[in-house]
Amino acid sequence: MPQIKTELLQEGMVVSRDVKNIDNMLLIPNGCKLTSRQIGILQAWGVHEIEVVSAGAAGDTDQLSRLPPELLAKLTAELRATFWKADDADPVFTELFKLMLRRRANRPGKLRL
Amino acid sequence: MTPPTIAGLVLATPPSLGSYGPLIQEIEAALRSPQCSLGVIGDIIEKDVDLTARLLRFSNSAYCGFSTKLSTVSEAISLIGIQQVQDMLSASSVLERFAGLSSEFVSVQSFWQHSLATGIAARLIALDRRLPKPDRLFVAGLLHDVGRLVLFLQSPKYAQMIFEVYGKERLLLRKAEVSALGFDHQNIGEALLKSWKYPPTLVLAVGHHHDPAGCEAARVEAAVVHVADHLVNAMRVGSSGEKFVPPLNSQAWATIGLTPEALGPIVAGIDEQFDAVQEMFLGETKPEANA
Repeated sequence: MPQIKTELLQEGMVVSRDVKNIDNMLLIPNGCKLTSRQIGILQAWGVHEIEVVSAGAAGDTDQLSRLPPELLAKLTAELRATFWKADDADPVFTELFKLMLRRRANRPGKLRL
Repeated sequence: MTPPTIAGLVLATPPSLGSYGPLIQEIEAALRSPQCSLGVIGDIIEKDVDLTARLLRFSNSAYCGFSTKLSTVSEAISLIGIQQVQDMLSASSVLERFAGLSSEFVSVQSFWQHSLATGIAARLIALDRRLPKPDRLFVAGLLHDVGRLVLFLQSPKYAQMIFEVYGKERLLLRKAEVSALGFDHQNIGEALLKSWKYPPTLVLAVGHHHDPAGCEAARVEAAVVHVADHLVNAMRVGSSGEKFVPPLNSQAWATIGLTPEALGPIVAGIDEQFDAVQEMFLGETKPEANA
């Protein structure tokens, strides 16, 4: 699990280990999705870094954009084939498709052509 | 070969409270007593060591999202609510009712993974739209396809016929059910849950999750389950036998009033909560790969 410095934390990141202060008081429990208020609390208590599950959406976008074009095309075609109806004029479909593509690109395991 | 009927399938699947039966009855009896308190209910649950451990892990998971660490059952009940704990126990009984059975058409584990994820999705949609009783929508999502499981398990020969049609023609599994039987898994699920005395809104939401507009009394609930099912089919978490992502009903989408931008956090929430919910209901197992 990545350790992230408190000043680099973003809203929505998921804490992967209980965060306690020096008196062993629980500040934020494992599994909690960070809010801006909680990030403020961590800073107020002088917590330098915490463990999080993932670095959030920014990292995911990079993963998808790093895919070679052929692999991206293959992944897109495979995903498209799973939908009974693919309507690119429908904003709900396009948003869901984008999310699912990113989710597949970030799935553990190697993507192969 | 006589085709199965809805009534016949329901009769062949009587209700069962499973191993939690005595506990559920004890809680119900305690709730009727004027001396009932959270401590009393906590004491009843704590008699079951395994359930206590699972309930506490679940209460401290991302699904519940409490900011304080809960260490006793009565604390957990006070935050989760007695109704939800009862719903969870009764849903656990349904899963247990089908445990150990196998179907050649669908893996029972993969079926429940699809169902649990749909439950999580339905609850997250309800929370986003601030709908009443989001936890009831979890149960509706969890049980939305139960009619299909009953059909596959009780009538394997007809299930085989359905899958033969499904394999040959390009059509949705639900349409293949209708062409073979004249009814589909929604109708079986609705009749089954009605006979098991589930709340009417939940019964209707299950019975109309492919056609929410056809049910005025539970239009919103059925629409939530419909959209949740659509998301989880797209995510490929488990499977209830359908290989395609069935089309999204635009009327159902409009009924709920979600925006496309709300989908990202909901999908992330499903991924985040799935393991804890799966552990609560199925024990510690990883989702089955389903491309």
